[in-house]
Amino acid sequence: MTLPLKLFQNQCEGSIIQYWFYKEQSGERTSASAKRCCKAARPSPWRPASILDDWVDRPIRPISLRQLFFFGRTLTEERLISSANYVRSELPTRLAHRLRDMQKLPYVVVTNPHLSTVYELYYKAFETLRRVPLIKTVEENDEYCKAISGTLKEHLAVIPNLVIGVLECQDLVQPHIMEDFINTMLRARISRRVIAEQHLALTETFDSPWHFPEKKSESEFVGEVLLRCNARDIVKQSGELAQQLSRKATNSDSAIPEIKISGHLEATFPYIQSHLEYIVGELLRNSILAVMEKNHGTCSKPPPIEVLICEAPQHVVIRISDQGGGIPRDIVPYLWSFNKGPKNAARLRNLEKVPAMAATVDELQTSSARQGASSNHALPEKRRDSSLSSLSSRPPNLRLGMGLPMSRVYAEYWAGSLQLHSLEGYGVDVFLQISKLGNQNEQINTRASIDAV
Amino acid sequence: MADLLSRGWRPVLRFRSERVRWYTSVASFPPAVPTWSHPPSSAQISDEEINRLAARPRRPVTLADLVKHGRPPLSPNALLSSANYTLALLPPRLAHRIQCLRNLPFIVVSNPHISQIYNNYLHSISTLLPYHKRHITTLQEEEQFTETMADLVHTHNNTIPILARGFLECRKYITPSEVTKFLEQHLRARIGTRLIAEQHIALHMASQPGSYEEKGVSPYIGVIDTALRPAEIIRNCDAFVSEICELKYGVRPSLILNGEVDAEFAHVPVHLEYIVTELLKNAYRATVESGNERKPVEITIAAAPNAPHTKLEALKSLLVSQDTSHDFSQEGLTEYCNTEGDAIPLNSAAQSITIRIRDQGGGIAPDILPNIWAFNFTTFSNNRTSNADNDNIDALNAISGSGGGNSSSIAGLGYGLPLGRAYAEYFGGGIAVESLYGFGTDVYLSLQGVGKIS
Repeated sequence: MTLPLKLFQNQCEGSIIQYWFYKEQSGERTSASAKRCCKAARPSPWRPASILDDWVDRPIRPISLRQLFFFGRTLTEERLISSANYVRSELPTRLAHRLRDMQKLPYVVVTNPHLSTVYELYYKAFETLRRVPLIKTVEENDEYCKAISGTLKEHLAVIPNLVIGVLECQDLVQPHIMEDFINTMLRARISRRVIAEQHLALTETFDSPWHFPEKKSESEFVGEVLLRCNARDIVKQSGELAQQLSRKATNSDSAIPEIKISGHLEATFPYIQSHLEYIVGELLRNSILAVMEKNHGTCSKPPPIEVLICEAPQHVVIRISDQGGGIPRDIVPYLWSFNKGPKNAARLRNLEKVPAMAATVDELQTSSARQGASSNHALPEKRRDSSLSSLSSRPPNLRLGMGLPMSRVYAEYWAGSLQLHSLEGYGVDVFLQISKLGNQNEQINTRASIDAV
Repeated sequence: MADLLSRGWRPVLRFRSERVRWYTSVASFPPAVPTWSHPPSSAQISDEEINRLAARPRRPVTLADLVKHGRPPLSPNALLSSANYTLALLPPRLAHRIQCLRNLPFIVVSNPHISQIYNNYLHSISTLLPYHKRHITTLQEEEQFTETMADLVHTHNNTIPILARGFLECRKYITPSEVTKFLEQHLRARIGTRLIAEQHIALHMASQPGSYEEKGVSPYIGVIDTALRPAEIIRNCDAFVSEICELKYGVRPSLILNGEVDAEFAHVPVHLEYIVTELLKNAYRATVESGNERKPVEITIAAAPNAPHTKLEALKSLLVSQDTSHDFSQEGLTEYCNTEGDAIPLNSAAQSITIRIRDQGGGIAPDILPNIWAFNFTTFSNNRTSNADNDNIDALNAISGSGGGNSSSIAGLGYGLPLGRAYAEYFGGGIAVESLYGFGTDVYLSLQGVGKIS
């Protein structure tokens, strides 16, 4: 609907009569989908391509998790400023690559209201960030941090918009093109947010009154990276959050399955905590829901969800086994896909509820739920709003159909993997493999190649 | 493999003994040409004939096809139609195998073991020649045909160990990936060929007067058990494997069987038996050798509710290419999907079973994990094949194989997993392995049954 209108506006700006005639006509034909997203129907302004060309020509400088936390371990003013300038040149470059990716998609796709919202958000961020001059002082850095965190907040709605857009466009282009596109977008998004959030966290540490530039103890965060992330604690915490949300949704206590954790409970590794919480939370939520659904109508105690943590020299595996009846075989081929599958209509409806929630009710619910969940252990409560928190804490029955593919993107981003095996009629086993980063050079290479997208 | 055929659940046919060994006739050639030096030219089938047969489409075989002639005892007409169905399928498959063998390097096929297999195929296809230009119309012809089938099954009994030995001897001249590719295809083709032949033999035997009268209604249709209980097979295999385990190590791990232990479905019991035995051997050996014999091996059986997805739809979505190991050709698949859709009760929902085998035997080391599906003929030595009993690592395999005559020579070759997977995948199932290194291994075996059979 918006497509011909935009074409018209751009090409025949002078002929007002024709334009109004067309507008009236198109107004009559306004479909439900156009109404829904009327805010994005505004056509994007023409912009010179040459500036973007310059930025696209610059190479991306990948960074490893190891570099991330060694950088921050002994934090000095000089290092903080150099971190700021790394982020300053890196963010617009990476945004430029993504913008060019989008520009290469068919016109009909980018004019989709949701995708064009994303495009506009990216372009605005690019235009703002590319104009930031060289940072020389801590004060300039503080200014810069404000700009970044504003952009980060603005981009919270990107994931739902992106997924809705891709779902709506599934008939317009070949599925694998869209699948590649969204995977690249999400991976790149993770990498941008990681370097941005890491810098924000470093700045915060530097500014805090009790900061001393010396080596930190192992149990702490360096920026966003938790050096000794304990698998058991994360599973326990995410499990309790998921159970709590399910309890709220169903108002019954007996139907919630127990979560049993066994294996190598002491296993630790450096990781970005919010990422692991999201993945594990998504998996446990799937399991809890499946068990509750299967057990619905029976009075018996639901079978527990068994989590096994296995530590090997190079990686940690978390196996989550439920007895929720497994996955029907007609859905299995589409489990890892963002834009294919039989349940797309329901997914679209549910997805549309997420952007609104990301801004309002949900954030409140998040913090209260989180406090409840984490009050039992002494895990650090210091955290920032991430785009993941609105997803992690949505009501359990809001099914988006992107938990598994998103989780896999996150797991693979840190050189891990995610596998699922369904015992149809019985339950599901999921295997999350986490690489112990920072002790192997080749893993840095893997990371770098993923980062370079 | 031989032991699979001689287990006591179905009558054993007397095999024709006067098998012709073509290559023995070459032996007298002066000056002292080794008998295996070249595939013999005395085959009574022309190259044109083989090429013509190999060019025919090779149709897929499904469980539904194998049971479509109905429950035995079969009427004479049904028996004849089974014979003609068998006759239509086999020659193109055998001819295609001959072509694939011919495409191997000369030096490889000159190896006595490989050339023995090549000759076996030439022999088998020549025994079918008198039949393939006409239909089988009388019961007498059918009887003769069944004998030919029995000869075919018997001739190819030891194909895998012989091929393995041959490729081992030729490992200088052919790359592991070429061998794996050839073996993958050959094994799958062999599963199909044997199953088709055995099915007709079994139907024939079960339809003879005297074989069915006293027993009442049997759940078997030929080699397919229509009320196969996986739990029962698992218990039998457990008894067998834990026995040899105790013999070798002095201990046996315990087994916990849970999930839907009462599940039933239609499948080929010998296939399931082979796969489960192999998987249990791996699990038990790992459990005992890691010193965790007190930790039980847990087997969970899951039975899927009847799914709407039919076998035919699954086949339609397949694409046959050079890289995929199917025993049918793309033309055969197309022909199959287009013509027989209504004739076969494919549209009824099929039961599917998933079996999870969980051990706490320490898992699979990350450097070994990528190779578990390869026919890893490069990792064992000549010494090991000829004297498998002395090899401690695979002692369990060696002992377990010794019951089945010649099949012991395949033991310890590391063929268990890839061969098991070939069997599972043949009717649309599969095997997946997840290793938790330092803890244990989870194996997922899924099998697709066939819809309700009246």
